[in-house]
Amino acid sequence: MSARTRELGCGIAGLLLLAALPYLFDVYWQQLGFRALQLLTLALAWNLLAGYCGQVSLGTGAFVGLGAYALALSANRWSLPPALLLPLAGAVAAAGAALLSPGVFRTRGLYFTVGTLALAEAIRLLMVNLPTFGGTRGVVLQSAALPFYLMYWLALLVAAVAALVCWLLLRSPASLALRAVRDDELVAAEMGVRVFRVKTACFMLSAFLAGVAGGLQAIKLGVIEPYGAFGLSWTIDTVAVVVIGGLGSGLGPLFGTLVYVALAELLRGQPELHGAFTGLCLLLVVRLAPRGLASLLRGRRRG
Amino acid sequence: MNLPDAAALLQALVNGLLIGALLALAALGLSLVVGVVRIVNLMHGELVVFGAYAAWLLVQFTGLHPLLLAPAAALAVALLGLPIERYLLQPVARHGDEGPLLTTFALSIIAQNLLVYFLSGDTRAIGSTLAAGRIAVGTITVPKHYLAGFAIALAVCAGVHWLIVHTAFGRRIRASAENPADAAVVGVPVRLTYALTFALAAGVAGLGGALLGMVFAFTPGSGVEFLLTGFTVVVLGGLGSVKGTLAGGLALGVLESFGAVVFGDGYRLLVGLVAFLVFLTLRPQGLFGRAA
Repeated sequence: MSARTRELGCGIAGLLLLAALPYLFDVYWQQLGFRALQLLTLALAWNLLAGYCGQVSLGTGAFVGLGAYALALSANRWSLPPALLLPLAGAVAAAGAALLSPGVFRTRGLYFTVGTLALAEAIRLLMVNLPTFGGTRGVVLQSAALPFYLMYWLALLVAAVAALVCWLLLRSPASLALRAVRDDELVAAEMGVRVFRVKTACFMLSAFLAGVAGGLQAIKLGVIEPYGAFGLSWTIDTVAVVVIGGLGSGLGPLFGTLVYVALAELLRGQPELHGAFTGLCLLLVVRLAPRGLASLLRGRRRG
Repeated sequence: MNLPDAAALLQALVNGLLIGALLALAALGLSLVVGVVRIVNLMHGELVVFGAYAAWLLVQFTGLHPLLLAPAAALAVALLGLPIERYLLQPVARHGDEGPLLTTFALSIIAQNLLVYFLSGDTRAIGSTLAAGRIAVGTITVPKHYLAGFAIALAVCAGVHWLIVHTAFGRRIRASAENPADAAVVGVPVRLTYALTFALAAGVAGLGGALLGMVFAFTPGSGVEFLLTGFTVVVLGGLGSVKGTLAGGLALGVLESFGAVVFGDGYRLLVGLVAFLVFLTLRPQGLFGRAA
């Protein structure tokens, strides 16, 4: 059995197991599962951009927010079932990324990182101050809430598609272009890689997935406001999950999500301590295992 | 959006300059750390917030005037910065930029959450009674503590400038920034210099925070604002000189102040961020690059 078939088999088995969760566990676990799958989607998206393409963005929150607003506003306007509009939420976020690319990709490395952070904050402040989209009061989703097991399945579908896209992409020749840009932009350009185009495409794909995750949030909450939808905590959680799990590793986002959610469960009811411990985990991983928990596991298997 | 009259604009200009000096002070440490230690310090904003909270706590306990307590707050933050650089940042700095960047990111998450845990997420302001004393010149009125903060900020900027340009320690700082390997060869204790520079930067940031805390309200989450404000000042003023940082701070102060008058107070930070992004996009190479 080739590694490819085995990986696909593991993925499908995992998917089926996860799909059975609502039959085995109550709403509490379904909510936990939803949160984990949403985080996994964001982590996969960010890992693609930061881990494989080398663009360490701190703008995840902006695309989550764009997706959430796009979904809520369009669902209200056209009275469509919100779940059908998830692709639109992603597309709006991707369009936002495409629009911003010429600006942010004029900067490189650390300047790109700080630029995306500033951009996300600017968009959040704009949404807070502009009355056009409800200002601080936000937008209320008019359609009825979905039962939670459907929400869970929706999140599972989104995460599975995200994982499949990443898996296919990283096995395609296109991934070589991504890694070339990450490892040395100048050399990549010399070799004929269209650096700006590769970065933009990766930024858009990453934003698309983040936008869909934001759309999920809008459906789950039924009401969105700028502080939450565009919040910095989306970015913080995503970066923490990926770095703890393993930046630029295929299984990194999965490991990171598991650690993050387990920590959240242990420190339930004390979000500040959870945040502090997540930061501590991040600190320790950067110091002791710079390539994340996934690399430790692989090291042991080989050694 | 109403057209502001001349008196309002003049008042905004004065306020902007007074606050701009504080912004420069709060950003000076970021410029020092990026320029000398070569770390993009994502916890810089938290160092400023620590200064504000330290001053607030000291005022709560002692009841003394916040301006008297600001140096103590600065010292506390400087003492916190020293071990952070020596024991947390130096060990990861060998493997490229990502380690220190992510470490400071982790520290900023920890700091924010611990502040909420121990001191709650409530909005704080230092000494609201301060606003009582005002000086009026013509149509312009200025709170006395704005003036005092402005004077302190200018004095500290001048002091740091003197330290870097005219003292033996400053020579070590400049040598370590220029070329750490060569500096080490001629006997400069580069690692110690880095740690002390970081502590100095943290102390100045803490002082900036203590002074800004008398002007603006703050929360544990204010760090990101101060971080981005700091970057904006550094970008506007250019890296590597105290004078540049001061000019950048004054420019940003005036810009934000006008923005608040023209568009409304909610747009104060947004105006600064837009200026930052425009500058970043138009001058990508000139940003953190030093003059050749």
